[in-house]
Amino acid sequence: MWICGFILAVVTLALAYILIRFRRRDDGEPAQGTGNKTLEVVWTAVPIALVTTLFVLSVITARAVDRPLRAPDIVVVGHQWWWEVRYPASGAVTANEVHLPAGRDTLLQIDAADVVHDFWVPELGRKIDAVPGRHNYIWITAGRQATYRGACAEFCGPEHAWMRFRAVIDSPEVFDAWLAAEAAPAPQSAAADAVAGRTRFSQLTCANCHAVRGVNQQEPYAPDLTHVASRRMLAGERLENTSANLREWLHEPNLIKPNCLMPNLNLSDQDLSALTAYLESLR
Amino acid sequence: MSDTPLAPGLIADEYPETVRSAWLDWISTVDHKRIGILYMFATLVFFAAGGVEALLMRIQLARPDSHFLSPDQYDQIFTMHGTTMVFLVVVPMLLGFANYLTPLMIGARDMALPRLNAFSFWVFLFGGILLYLSFVYGHAPAAGWFAYTPLSEKGYSSRYGMDYWALALLGIGVGTVATAVNLIVTILKLRAPGLTIRRLPLFVWMVLVNSFLILMALPALNASLVMLLVDRQLNAHFFMSLGGGSPVLWQHYFWAFGHPEVYIMVLPAFGVISEVIPVFSRKPIFGYGFVAASTVAIALLSLGVWAHHMFAVGLGHAWDYAFGASSLLIAVPTGVKVFNWIATMWGGSIHFTTSMLFAIAFLFTFTIGGLSGVSFATFPLDWQTTDTYYVVAHMHYVLFGGTLFAMMSAVYYWFPKFSGRMLSERLGRLHFVLMFIGFHMTFFIQHFLGLDGMPRRVYTYPDLPGWGVMNMISTIGAFVIGISVLVLLWNMWVSIHAGAPAGDNPWNAWTLEWATTSPPPEHNFEAVPPVRSARPLWDLAHPEGGRL
Amino acid sequence: MRRFTTAQTAVAAFLLSEAVFFGFLIAAYVYFYPQAARGAGRDLDPPRTLIFTLCLLASSATLWLAERRMTAGGRNGFRLWLGVTIALGAVFLAGQGLEYAGLFAKSVTPERDLFGATFFTLTGFHGFHVLCGLVSLLALLALTFRADFGEAARRGVGAVALYWHFVDAVWIVIFSLVYLTVWI
Repeated sequence: MWICGFILAVVTLALAYILIRFRRRDDGEPAQGTGNKTLEVVWTAVPIALVTTLFVLSVITARAVDRPLRAPDIVVVGHQWWWEVRYPASGAVTANEVHLPAGRDTLLQIDAADVVHDFWVPELGRKIDAVPGRHNYIWITAGRQATYRGACAEFCGPEHAWMRFRAVIDSPEVFDAWLAAEAAPAPQSAAADAVAGRTRFSQLTCANCHAVRGVNQQEPYAPDLTHVASRRMLAGERLENTSANLREWLHEPNLIKPNCLMPNLNLSDQDLSALTAYLESLR
Repeated sequence: MSDTPLAPGLIADEYPETVRSAWLDWISTVDHKRIGILYMFATLVFFAAGGVEALLMRIQLARPDSHFLSPDQYDQIFTMHGTTMVFLVVVPMLLGFANYLTPLMIGARDMALPRLNAFSFWVFLFGGILLYLSFVYGHAPAAGWFAYTPLSEKGYSSRYGMDYWALALLGIGVGTVATAVNLIVTILKLRAPGLTIRRLPLFVWMVLVNSFLILMALPALNASLVMLLVDRQLNAHFFMSLGGGSPVLWQHYFWAFGHPEVYIMVLPAFGVISEVIPVFSRKPIFGYGFVAASTVAIALLSLGVWAHHMFAVGLGHAWDYAFGASSLLIAVPTGVKVFNWIATMWGGSIHFTTSMLFAIAFLFTFTIGGLSGVSFATFPLDWQTTDTYYVVAHMHYVLFGGTLFAMMSAVYYWFPKFSGRMLSERLGRLHFVLMFIGFHMTFFIQHFLGLDGMPRRVYTYPDLPGWGVMNMISTIGAFVIGISVLVLLWNMWVSIHAGAPAGDNPWNAWTLEWATTSPPPEHNFEAVPPVRSARPLWDLAHPEGGRL
Repeated sequence: MRRFTTAQTAVAAFLLSEAVFFGFLIAAYVYFYPQAARGAGRDLDPPRTLIFTLCLLASSATLWLAERRMTAGGRNGFRLWLGVTIALGAVFLAGQGLEYAGLFAKSVTPERDLFGATFFTLTGFHGFHVLCGLVSLLALLALTFRADFGEAARRGVGAVALYWHFVDAVWIVIFSLVYLTVWI
């Protein structure tokens, strides 16, 4: 940036000076001088030196962020328009939230289920495409505990804008506890409405796309809901995860996130209450 | 010399005069000047369409979480905006100017292949109309102007908009290649006696190099489009990983076209600047040979930088290093040009006409755009900034602040030659001020939006601190640009009817197009002046002066 | 060294762009080569295609002969050899048509696999270019019957000849890459 700023300053100042010093004073023609081979060589050689410096710096940076691959700690799969997040070692599966332990080198494998997406958390490192048919990898070592916003950074269809996610950096102890909780099967609430909701979840078509580990198994057509209530946001950062918002979402997903692949199931008020209660019990 | 007779009188007899309607005259013309005007008029209409699309986008983005446009509508509009501006505005506008000016600047009577010239225009126009017919069909293409697979495949873009897009671009591509062929043959074969290649006006030189670049780049697009159509219509799997194909192959192929294409969009603009700055500094170009040679360097290098659009794909170090290096290198010949233009002004006597104002604005703005480009070539930076509003800022700085400013300069410079009338300098200054302010207001702030994390190609964004304000400023700037365009149109309308008569050479310039009337007669020249240097009219006025 | 006429310069420039176009289609065939070669080995008939290839190559020779007759001033000789060229080109296209019919009968289509996709796209566009060449040659043949078949038309022949030889050269590359590599 400094080099570019320097060049811009040189050009701008030169221009400003020239425009004032050599503005038209009379109708006579100035000296018709042309060319100066030395000058041409200088202003070719100096930029070559500058860009060579930039290239060397680039290579140094690229090598610094690279490490040999091993089995990934996290597998992230981009779908239209949500992020599947799996922790292979523990079996935990979640969506649209990536938790990482501070200070530990973490290897993420980035895949895509349909079209090309891109995984990007600006504060944590580079962006990397999620391409169907290939695996990409990114090493992340988060410095401190914080929550960062992530986004899909490759146009992937109408809801690309709301294919956002969260990266939560915890202390190693908190992270391990979180991981254990996520890996566990779904909690079983005894509350009446939650029980009713669990029944409706299986009876209505929800279970055809969504998995709640301990209740059903399903291919990742849609986000895993096992611990959905523990997440801060819904629908790719579109909504805060509250009862009211969840109910709104179930009522008419396409109103909140047009073109999203979840259909409007025309749920009755009773079903909406039951399902909302059930899902909110899945901490 | 060539096999085409030069003397004007002989040619005129082959085309007997007939009395026809003006409309039929224009539709059936093969005269390069009229075809040039047709291109300029058509691109103006497409520019209005692309501009309206941009304003609609900016209205949608002015506030966070806006519902002015649905996501699907936004995606169609941003796709059409990009496709229109690249294929239906910038390139044809440049080719339209090249069409009008090249035969005049080399002392020829017309292009080498006049009927091919007419064909090129009409196939371009019909291609553009076909593209816009997709709206009538009910769904314009919506996968971006770059149509990455698999999103643009039938499985994810099931409507016919993508097919309209592919077929329209194939048609437009045919017209572009035909024009490039025509320009090459014209420049190689029809130069006036004494006009050696080393005495070519720099605009013509850049048009020549540009035409070769078109011949190398457009076929890559044609191959890509053909393969996409085979995928979509014959159910093949060139770009679908499910069938063994490769989505990334599309990116390689598309950018093998797409990167040279951006140089195709800028080289003739460099040519305009190389004509305008010397004339309004009253000095010849500082280093003719270096400017010409750097053009060839840029063209050759531009064929080897395409994967810098793919630094985030994860191709591996070899690719990142190789294309980072070549992309950094291409900044050098471009810098040589900028330094030469500045050196041309040094020691000169600068006339601040509107044309010159735009040329100076070009120097400043294009340099900013070029430097942000260097920041992308520094590929670790690209890993953060690619696919964000930083890219949107960069590309508009070089294509709008670069090419379009240069074309505004060209309009004010050559409008007198085309029409016989001067544009109003007063209105021109107003246009300049509004456009300059509006442009920087719209796009400078987008650098910061991108660095702050706003991705591109999004129909809306969350209400993060500062994002709403920055986007609103950008939107206001866009409307200021729109107003400035209206001022330009008003200027052109008023001046055509009541502008001051221009005369042959209102700027006291030196190249051959100024050695005939404004506008030129159908056969261009009554007599072509002798050519002994790159500045024939200077030599005529200064018989004692030295050669260039 | 013969200098190109205006028409030949134009065709040469156009051929540069065509070379790039075919280059990209060939590159796709090469990129998908493992799958393409499997299909080629299984479904193609190189010996039969060789016969049609020789017809196409011969047509280049006959076109060259035609040009020589024209330079020597013999319009009838020119017409004869031009006619032979067209006939040979038509035989080549017929052969391709037969080949395509045979492949479709075996369910080899662009849809089935990447051999189908790359093979048909590459040879299909080549065949289309041969067809355009035949149309141009027929147009030339028709022109020879006009009384004013003069210098301008002769230059047209040189330009069309350039195009025809190019199309043949592209076929040599395609034939070697697609057929010879699985035959030998």
